[in-house]
Amino acid sequence: MAVDKQQRRWSALGGFAIALLVVLLARVWFLQAVTKEETDRIIDRVQSRVVKLIPERGRIFDVNGRVVADNKRVLVATIDRRIIDDPQDRLEMFQRLSGPLNTPIERLYTRADDKRYDQLTEMPLAFDISEEQAAFLMERIEDYPGVVIKEDWRRIYQYGAVGSHVLGFLGAIQPGSAEYYKSLGYDPNERVGLYGVELTYEVDLRGIPGYVRYEVDAVGRIKRVIERVEAQAGRDLQLSIDFRLQQFAEQALESQLVVRQRNEAPQVMLPEGIPDPQYEEVNYYKAPAGSVVVMNHNTGEVVAMASYPRFDSRWFTANVDAEKFAEVFPLTDDPDRSILVNRAVSGRYNLGSSFKPFVAYAALNTGQLPGGASYTFDDRGTYKLESIPKDRCDQGVKCVFRNAVCRSTGAPCQYGEVDVEAALAVSSDTFFYKIGEQILTERGYRAVLEEEVRRFGFGSPTNIDLPFEYAGTIPNAAYKKYLASLGVIAEDAGRAYYVGDNVLFSIGQGLLSASPLQVANAYSALGNNGTLHEPRVVRAVLTPGTRNKAAGLADLQTASVITPVTEKAPSTIIPLPPEVRDPIVSGLRRVITGPGVTFDYYHKTTGENLFRNYSGITIAGKTGTAQGFNNLPWNDSSAFGAFSLDAGSPYSAFAYLEKAGYGATAAAPVVKCIFLALSKQWRVDELIPADPLDTASAIAAPTARLRNPMCLVSATAESRG
Amino acid sequence: MSIAFRVRSRPSDPRGSASVLDPWRNVDWMMLWAVGALAVIGVFNIYATTSPRLVLRGADPFYFTQRQVLFVFAAVVALGAVMFFGHDWLRSIAVWLYAATTFSLFILLLWGRASSETKLSFDLGVIAVQPAEVMKPVLVLVLAAWFADAGMRTMPYDEFIRALLIAGAPFLLIALQPDLGSAMTIAAGVFGVLLIAGTQRRHFVFITILATLSFMASIWSGVVRDYQLERFTALWNQNNTSDRSLQNLVLQVRYAKRAVAAGGYFGKGYLQGELTNGRFIPVQSTDFPFSAIGEQFGLVGAFIVVGLFSFILLRVWIIGRNANSPFGRFLAAGVFATLAWQVFQNIGMTIGITPVSGLPLPFVSYGGSHLVAWAVMIGLVQSVEMRRSA
Repeated sequence: MAVDKQQRRWSALGGFAIALLVVLLARVWFLQAVTKEETDRIIDRVQSRVVKLIPERGRIFDVNGRVVADNKRVLVATIDRRIIDDPQDRLEMFQRLSGPLNTPIERLYTRADDKRYDQLTEMPLAFDISEEQAAFLMERIEDYPGVVIKEDWRRIYQYGAVGSHVLGFLGAIQPGSAEYYKSLGYDPNERVGLYGVELTYEVDLRGIPGYVRYEVDAVGRIKRVIERVEAQAGRDLQLSIDFRLQQFAEQALESQLVVRQRNEAPQVMLPEGIPDPQYEEVNYYKAPAGSVVVMNHNTGEVVAMASYPRFDSRWFTANVDAEKFAEVFPLTDDPDRSILVNRAVSGRYNLGSSFKPFVAYAALNTGQLPGGASYTFDDRGTYKLESIPKDRCDQGVKCVFRNAVCRSTGAPCQYGEVDVEAALAVSSDTFFYKIGEQILTERGYRAVLEEEVRRFGFGSPTNIDLPFEYAGTIPNAAYKKYLASLGVIAEDAGRAYYVGDNVLFSIGQGLLSASPLQVANAYSALGNNGTLHEPRVVRAVLTPGTRNKAAGLADLQTASVITPVTEKAPSTIIPLPPEVRDPIVSGLRRVITGPGVTFDYYHKTTGENLFRNYSGITIAGKTGTAQGFNNLPWNDSSAFGAFSLDAGSPYSAFAYLEKAGYGATAAAPVVKCIFLALSKQWRVDELIPADPLDTASAIAAPTARLRNPMCLVSATAESRG
Repeated sequence: MSIAFRVRSRPSDPRGSASVLDPWRNVDWMMLWAVGALAVIGVFNIYATTSPRLVLRGADPFYFTQRQVLFVFAAVVALGAVMFFGHDWLRSIAVWLYAATTFSLFILLLWGRASSETKLSFDLGVIAVQPAEVMKPVLVLVLAAWFADAGMRTMPYDEFIRALLIAGAPFLLIALQPDLGSAMTIAAGVFGVLLIAGTQRRHFVFITILATLSFMASIWSGVVRDYQLERFTALWNQNNTSDRSLQNLVLQVRYAKRAVAAGGYFGKGYLQGELTNGRFIPVQSTDFPFSAIGEQFGLVGAFIVVGLFSFILLRVWIIGRNANSPFGRFLAAGVFATLAWQVFQNIGMTIGITPVSGLPLPFVSYGGSHLVAWAVMIGLVQSVEMRRSA
């Protein structure tokens, strides 16, 4: 009995063990026999190593085929992050790699933790290593497990800072666009265009990556190539920009800003005629920034687009550390100092009188001026609103608007009887105040002025192929309400759209804002008899692999076009009958050539002095002085727009110089120089490759000056408007 | 009732010098060959799992392999000594061994608490000794001796309780280290001895309830630390990668499983396992040797290893069943249950069916303490067989 019981217990113990072993064997069998295939698929990646082949990025040429963005083949050493997971292993690997890569250990450590490089893929050890270094590492792969040498490309911007705002730069994918690029099949650590056409044409420029699949053994040695799929280079771009003119425009702009910084602004006078003691006696113009846009108004192509301050795109490919980068491009809240902004498309500016041609258009096109071109108005320096009752005016509502002060009298200028042509030529404000009031009050307070100027593209983006375009604003009830809701203007002020708002609107002040590109495009529409193009900086997208016909010069004849970008750009027609266009054009022509008007004495037009000896392409233009903070003279920004009347040279240009003075003194000379250059009457420097970037310096871009700045010089008199 | 497959199958040596009573005639060489085969597999496996990382560090790739070979020699010496002196002699000093090992566990626990680290071993410079491993043969020995001395066919309640107290002290000390894997293995050994020593069924019910209650109490009282609970949680969430605290454990098991699965039927070949290079699976040479075997030698290799263990278990079972002294039977039962459980637990955690614990695979894992401890256990069983006619 007892023996039997013990036998039973032995059987139980044995059975228990058998059960455990059967469970084990069943599970092992299941793993190895049943789930093997699925596991193999996962393991395959471990067994074979895939190295991505990065395609050559599309090159960028200027309008004449100059290679302005090129590529250089480089070798990059990377390491599998799993190898350096363990701090001890990391230290040993870095110690071993530091010598052959000629890179300090500290830098390797910084790079390992640098957030710019994806933490899940390989860590870049060194960029642009030599063939010898690569061979050294590959021959000793047992000593350098996980190290992979990759072929990569480095972007070369031949001409340094020239056109950098248009070209843009490359960088790591930003968090906000990570999902987008992932959906396009990008690697998380790929470099993409972050600015300029590098951004807008990113998908064209990128190309299609290839890969090499290697078979590797357990230690990670490459045994053979299983498969190699070559990368396909990206598409090339032909810009509409002429980089030689671009360089000239940048030189003219920067030279003029520097000149303006050495000029004193007028003093603020008290009514008694003495300088206001609360301000410094001498105030120089700050002239911190500016931009110029030159367009071909027949095609809508941008020929040159300069923005100051400039930067050298090569800073973004120099692999400088974050600290150095912050030194060159300091984070700043001061809009005057921001560098990485293309002011030509992102600038938000008051236009001042340079907006008047479009108000004149509104008045003529809607029949607001009885008799059109022959209508005259007696300008006595002030305009009193007719629609506001006297008692309201006495309560403090602003009812009287004045012309700018004439230096000879110290009082608002008086121009006498002026028609629309003369009003544009001498920039009479009162003439336009009246339009501003009556176009609103006589038309049932409808936004007629807004509707008319919108035809020229104000208030909406031009849809240029550059990022971060500013759409501009047009003063109206909705916009005022919106600003009040943001707390930008007082709630009272935001309640309704007043006559005073429309009056300020009519001389390009108040809540009107636009980008220089928008204005240039609007002047273009005047220049080409009423076609509003969508501007473009890229003329065509070309098939990959355009050949060079000389060093740095692409053979555009043999290139084939994939997308004719500017040809396909849409445009709209603005009704511009001769009876509307002619008075405006002849008014703008008189700005350049004179004559002015005589009332008491001869009043010059705003551009007469500057253009006295001008012998370039026949142009018409308009100055503008936009008042800045507190209407202080040194905060005046300068604007000048012009278009050619010569069908052989269909160019329009607009310049805007921030806090640089009157339109005629600061912006107009820049445009004058550009038209002289376009007329081949002024020396334009050859475009030569830039000096190597000095990464030891902290200068975003080298200086660019006109070799002969005399085109900027005008006769003495300054007149406001 | 008799079993046809007798352990002692060799006829008397015709040259006939040895006495019938010579214990060395009765050595179970088959079992020793199986154990030896596992030890050799273990040594080769340790080279495969440790050398790539040593190469990476620029150290001697044979460092751990050489040490393991030395451990194997030490284990052979221990095995020979136990077989020579016999289990009865060890029975006479069992109490002292028990006292010394329990004391060292206690010291280790105090030391661990004082340094607020988890201390599992005494570091003696050249080697580190794990008292928990030593406790396995000692406890089997002392419990078997206890019940053999009592000499009862069915166990009365007071004997049962005393046995529980004897086993409970080291169990608690090891559980508090905390080394729940070893504690479980010790419990399995105790269970084996108790079962064969004639514990009554209701006492088993009682001990099961007690164990369940104390387990729950330990979770509530916080004796079981968070990371140990996580090991259970990880077992039930093997496909969960979002929980960061579980990620390491889950990944560890996932790589181990993947390594086993990657082997397929015939494996990738020795040193050809991509995952068997010490980079993906932490502590592969001690805790996950089976993953390396599975990847390199496939289902065939895995079945051979499990088969060798099964064979050893079978021999231990037969020896225990046929032993003519209660002490011998109890010893064999304890060793049998300990071995079966430890093999199950270690391979089980590699293939994702038991919680992860730092428990070595007998004879195969890297480590001196467990090799010597298992040599002693095998020696005890051998001694039972050798001296069965005494």
